[in-house]
Amino acid sequence: MPAEELGPLPAGRHGFSREQVAHHQRERLIAGLAEAVAEKGYAAVTLTDIVKHAKVSRRVFYANFESKEQCFLAAFEVVLDHLNALVAEAVDGVEGWPQQAIAATRAVLTFLAAEPDLARLCLVESRGAGPAVTARFNEAVGEMAPLLRLGRAERPEAERLPDSTEDSTIGSLVSLAHRKVAAGEAKQLGDLLPDCVELVLLPYLGPAEAARHAREQA
Amino acid sequence: MFGNFLHLKYQFRTNGNWRYPGFVRALPGKENRQPPGPEPVSRDAAAADQRRRILEATAELIAEQGYQETTMEEIVRRAKVGYATFYKHYPDKEAAFLALLDAATDRTVGRVEDAYKREEGPWTDRVGAALGVLFEDVAAHPAAARAALVEAVAAVPEAAAKHEAALKRLAPLLRPGRELNPRQAELPESLEETLAGGIVWVLGQRLIAGEADKLRALLPETLEFVLRPYVGEDEAAREAGEVADAISA
Repeated sequence: MPAEELGPLPAGRHGFSREQVAHHQRERLIAGLAEAVAEKGYAAVTLTDIVKHAKVSRRVFYANFESKEQCFLAAFEVVLDHLNALVAEAVDGVEGWPQQAIAATRAVLTFLAAEPDLARLCLVESRGAGPAVTARFNEAVGEMAPLLRLGRAERPEAERLPDSTEDSTIGSLVSLAHRKVAAGEAKQLGDLLPDCVELVLLPYLGPAEAARHAREQA
Repeated sequence: MFGNFLHLKYQFRTNGNWRYPGFVRALPGKENRQPPGPEPVSRDAAAADQRRRILEATAELIAEQGYQETTMEEIVRRAKVGYATFYKHYPDKEAAFLALLDAATDRTVGRVEDAYKREEGPWTDRVGAALGVLFEDVAAHPAAARAALVEAVAAVPEAAAKHEAALKRLAPLLRPGRELNPRQAELPESLEETLAGGIVWVLGQRLIAGEADKLRALLPETLEFVLRPYVGEDEAAREAGEVADAISA
């Protein structure tokens, strides 16, 4: 929820416990950072921008985060958690690896297209937000590899794919999505679904099958 | 610090001979521009050397700690030049970074394009030759490569644009592969740039992991990945196998 919609925290006595207030403040700061980053880009965002959007004091900021980078990392984690939950939900009950891979791809693209600011935060701003975020980005992207690797069981030919197949496939996907978002077309990320499906399935199912699945998504 | 600088300056000029100091490693075109032997230092040569040192220091620092964290102070200290010298060449850190990207991209993409043109065999061989040169260049200049392939993506918008432009220059080398595919009309429009993005990602991951020395082994696999959408999986695996054999021979 955007910090704007939350309004200022009620002053004086209220029914919230200290923990609830602290949790709430942390969430406001994360939302505040996301808004500030959407407004002017991570590099230009100052602490003042973040606390202004979050409508809390600098003291509260420092009670929750050591730095702007740490706050960004927390925001990035929130989005990643959400994406993971969406993917888990999307593949739940879906039969067969190809259909699961398609469902997961669709879930991610649909969410990012609906939240263009978060898409930008995840795919563009995260790449320049310092070493800790870069490391986390690479780790998070790498977590897709085991899901793709399951595709090797689909055909005998797929079992002898080179080790780096998942890496290069993931890199292509990230590059494709990154380019779309960097061009300011995050809302059209859904258009990439057929191409992404083809890229993901190609090594595992072979060109003809991958193309057939891609056409079904067009 | 000033004393240190003078000391170094004279150390290079022993016997009136000018040699590039050992720590100035090759940046674009150095091989061609380096004076062949004892030669008087011209003003131009000295300026070129300063720029080379500044760009080299910028590349190393950015590779070590990222663009945002790198300061002007660190750059001038590592390059062993004064602030005045830095400002004579570049107005700020961003300008030095962008100059570094231009230099690194022109060198590497230029060499990749040359390798593609020089190879006279079938298209698959030409792509293999081009990819081989790309991997070789990245392995030889890991710091500059990391700046161009990893840090450029989000450092500043202009750097990201240069990164994009470099990727776009690789696309025309791949595009002729479409003619080898009976279903060429169905191939995604974005395929070439997307494959280039995949290559850059794999290279970047190895650079981040500090494994530039392992790139050789990765070459056949990456070639297979790139060829597969065009020539099919069997042919791609065969080509990759040939390259792997050539490397281990």
